[in-house]
Amino acid sequence: MDNEPELVRRCIAGDNSAWETLLRAHSRKVYNLCYRFTGRAEEAEDLTQEVFIKVYQTFKSYDAAQGTFSTWLNRVARNHLVDHYRRTKKDRVTSSLEDESATVEQKPSEMEPASHVEARERRELLQAALDKLSPDLREAVILRDIHDLDYVEIAQILGVPEGTVKSRINRGRLELARVLKRMDKVRGQIDEP
Amino acid sequence: MTHLELENLTSDYLEGQLDTVRQAQVEAHLAECTDCRELVADVRNAIDLCHKAEVLEPAPWLVSRILLATVGGRKPAFWEQVAAFFRPALQPRVAYVVAMAVFSFSIIVNAAGINLRNLTVQDLRPTIWYSKATRTGHLLIARAEKFYYDLRVVYEIESRFRQLRSEPEQQEKEAPKDQTPGGSTDTRPAHNPQMAWVMIAPGSAVRAEMPLDFVSLGRSPSR
Repeated sequence: MDNEPELVRRCIAGDNSAWETLLRAHSRKVYNLCYRFTGRAEEAEDLTQEVFIKVYQTFKSYDAAQGTFSTWLNRVARNHLVDHYRRTKKDRVTSSLEDESATVEQKPSEMEPASHVEARERRELLQAALDKLSPDLREAVILRDIHDLDYVEIAQILGVPEGTVKSRINRGRLELARVLKRMDKVRGQIDEP
Repeated sequence: MTHLELENLTSDYLEGQLDTVRQAQVEAHLAECTDCRELVADVRNAIDLCHKAEVLEPAPWLVSRILLATVGGRKPAFWEQVAAFFRPALQPRVAYVVAMAVFSFSIIVNAAGINLRNLTVQDLRPTIWYSKATRTGHLLIARAEKFYYDLRVVYEIESRFRQLRSEPEQQEKEAPKDQTPGGSTDTRPAHNPQMAWVMIAPGSAVRAEMPLDFVSLGRSPSR
């Protein structure tokens, strides 16, 4: 956004229409980040709302000299997602088996076009594989390969050195590739008989 | 180069960020090692899968929900408040009722002969309105009646005229042999002393050959 600094300045001054504009411009991106992190649409919506409430409440702590609003927003979202991950870790362990079986058993609808089925299967496969990664590796891969951010920006968002980001992305990709291969083998075994 | 070294360089290799020496070393290892070649192919596929991930659309009410949770609903601008005030009046049903009311009022005022520019206290008395409206109403009825009779006369003259024109043709068809050889070929009926010029309305003269007594009455001879 070209006039983003101006919008941010107006938001800090209490201009609600500027806040709405910023919200509309960034809500989809934050929602996608939350969805990739959680894998559930409803949970992603709740998290997106929580992130923006936090942003609205802490707007005055934003310093334009430290980076763009987008980077700051991503950092707030990432921190919130990590907090959420830690908070819900126990619940997730108990329900992970049910979710896994639900993902594998989901059958395509007869009315769904083939292209939609393929896209949905690809999305579910990727999501299931991302869920298997540790949060550190997952967020690095999501920011780099799905949100297409550069290393410097990811380092700013994660608050770690660039070298660490590179290492995490590399390990995340290797892990993702192995998980996908394992899942592919499992699916092949299910389809064979 | 070991397998572990290659693993650590996989992302840099796939993103083309290795220097030429390292690049050559990686390619040499990949040429020899099937497992590492397979691993690099798998990582490439994983990255492709991530790149192909579609952008998901949040629920349409999400932004409204966040706005409600943050600013408690947006305060409308001045022009939006004005528009909201007049919105009920701009409904088609209401606009139609108002238009009909204005139309009816203008008819009543016009019928009562009230000049709104020079309105006096006397004009506001209902009895005055009633008497003026009655007078105008009677005038209107009289004009309508006159118009109706005028129109009726015109139609009757026209129908009679057509009838008179068609009569000689029928006579010719019925008795063609009665015509004497070398006689006149004029098919018009012979001059009838009862035919005359009739003025239907000022400025429009209609030539009608018809009985004078019928025209003067303005009624059909049969009635």
